[in-house]
Amino acid sequence: MTELRELAKKLLAEGAAKVVIGWEEGPRGVRPAFATDAAAADRLVFDARCAHDLAPYLDRRRVHVAKLGRPAVVVKPCDARAVAGLIRETQVKREDVVLVGVRCGGVLADPEAGGTLSADTIADRCRTCDSRETALADHVVGTPVEPLAAPSRRDARVAELDAMTPAQRWAFWQGELARCTRCNACRQVCPLCYCDRCMADKTQPQWIESSPHGRGNLSWHLLRAIHLAGRCVDCGECERACPSGIPLGLITRKVASVVADRFGHKPGDDPAVPSPIGTWRSDDPQEFIL
Amino acid sequence: MNATTISSSDLSGLAADLLAARVRVAGPARASDGTVEYRHAGAPAELVLDSGVPRRSLKEFFLPPTEPLFAWRTGAGGRVELLEAPLPADPAVVIGARPCDAAGIEALDKVMGWDYRDEPWFARREATTIVSLACAGFDRSCMCTSVGLAPDTTKGSDLLLVPIGGGAFRAEVVTAKGARLVAAYPARFRPASGEAEAEAFRKAAREKVAASAPPAADPLRPWLDAHFDHPLWREASLRCHGCGACAAVCPTCHCFDIVDEPETVGTGVRRRNWDTCQTPRFTIHASGHNPKNDQPARIRQRVLHKIVIYPKKFGEMLCTGCGRCSRACPGGMDLPEVLARIAALAGGAQ
Ligand code: SF4
Ligand code: SF4
Ligand code: SF4
Ligand code: SF4
Ligand code: SF4
Repeated sequence: MTELRELAKKLLAEGAAKVVIGWEEGPRGVRPAFATDAAAADRLVFDARCAHDLAPYLDRRRVHVAKLGRPAVVVKPCDARAVAGLIRETQVKREDVVLVGVRCGGVLADPEAGGTLSADTIADRCRTCDSRETALADHVVGTPVEPLAAPSRRDARVAELDAMTPAQRWAFWQGELARCTRCNACRQVCPLCYCDRCMADKTQPQWIESSPHGRGNLSWHLLRAIHLAGRCVDCGECERACPSGIPLGLITRKVASVVADRFGHKPGDDPAVPSPIGTWRSDDPQEFIL
Repeated sequence: MNATTISSSDLSGLAADLLAARVRVAGPARASDGTVEYRHAGAPAELVLDSGVPRRSLKEFFLPPTEPLFAWRTGAGGRVELLEAPLPADPAVVIGARPCDAAGIEALDKVMGWDYRDEPWFARREATTIVSLACAGFDRSCMCTSVGLAPDTTKGSDLLLVPIGGGAFRAEVVTAKGARLVAAYPARFRPASGEAEAEAFRKAAREKVAASAPPAADPLRPWLDAHFDHPLWREASLRCHGCGACAAVCPTCHCFDIVDEPETVGTGVRRRNWDTCQTPRFTIHASGHNPKNDQPARIRQRVLHKIVIYPKKFGEMLCTGCGRCSRACPGGMDLPEVLARIAALAGGAQ
């Protein structure tokens, strides 16, 4: 913690960054923080409660954040993958942001409840994450950590869904998606959903009905699943933000496994590696084209 | 005030009686992931009273996330026919509403019955009886006492249940509708008892909430009026994603969007859907001008609508202090903290 705070203060003092975006203690556990002076930098924290992905704050539409000036962002390895996505897709210039990598052993499934990280309490996405520190950083802080061996309940659930008949799977997703109110929280917190005009907001023509009925919700979630295919960095923000408790991680995880299987691609923290959706190769699988 | 007593088993029995009489019963129940939300119950055992604040508020039973207003159909000679959606009139009883949720419904009656009478809203209001369960105070985001309410408020409830120990509740009859419910199922109710126990529960709950809630919001109005452009809004909204989760879970956020959706060639449905002031699209004009063009302006709008604009227009707060916006916010925005900050600023300014 001291290391992080001292680095933040140094970046601010030397003018390398005008704001350090990290985490601080809030009324309900830790939360995103925007440190613009030494006092605020001294309040920065990093521990297993820091589940929030801070990369979305680099979105150019967040003018009130951009107005603070050149940012330094504290990134866990998954957050660094999100920043890599933004650089790869020309949303952020590498030289416009200072990246402070934190060594990460995983975050808690229930960050608000707090407690120590264990095979029981670790977030599901961290059970299948294999990076402990990112190469996409100007500075790396924290002590090296060993991965926790914990089986992924989410993968088990995906396998259960895969084993269902199409009718059973349909019934499952209809039940889950019926709760969606189309608040768009999943989209707004997603670091890779930065589109100025989301397809779902278009009205001429309207591709996706905005009503949260069966048809509209199915179209919306299919659209997002496809748009995030091979781009989703498994930061877990969509599922964490959903006020209706929809298990969006099951969708992102399933799609990621399809992309890994069909295109041999897993989103990483190297912005130079193209993503399958943004590139074309003559040996791409294409037997589905009639 | 007229009161009676009901045991937990009779409360379950009442739910069973209502279901048998084809009355819809709703209340806190568990969703597939184990979280509590307000749901229609198929059996009394599904209701889990007092097991936390349901994820979303009660408003969706009166203002559903989407509802058809009318359908259209192009008939012979190109004549367009309008088919009004039937008014929702199924009798329903909510059992175990949180008082802050019931209060929110009554607060919304004002805007729903102001320049025109919102027919679907009032059809559901009239068909629904709300039985609330006095709250013991849930967590540090609760702030009902800061907005002129209390964990045992009767506002919006037809019947208020107060725990008196031994699994029984003292039931206060608040409205004629509540009295009708008691009169319709006399075998489920016993003569009133436990007045002292109920009073002790209510007092303890109020003290518990008041201990962590921010200062009263009412006196902040003059300061807010005088400081529309205060830097507070810029600072407070830095962490906001503009995601609208706060509005989706809020018992009193009621803005909606109206959409026309074609169904087949020549037919379609006009629907109204939940909307929120937290997105840029909410206020953008056809010209491209957006009067609320950044998140600070949108956060200010949400707070001011709750504690300045609505009270000025309708004489009551548009926040019942339920704390859901703080619990749901992925960015860690905290309304009690924002109000405490305003109170500190207002105190310093005076
Ligand atoms: S956050 Fe949840 S409720 Fe909101 S649009 Fe996404 S899935 Fe639907
Ligand atoms: S889809 Fe969800 S998990 Fe994937 S990058 Fe977006 S917010 Fe993160
Ligand atoms: S759903 Fe698709 S179009 Fe919409 S913001 Fe996300 S990536 Fe962009
Ligand atoms: S503004 Fe927040 S605390 Fe107030 S009623 Fe809405 S969700 Fe509850
Ligand atoms: S829930 Fe939080 S992040 Fe989302 S719009 Fe509301 S205040 Fe902003």
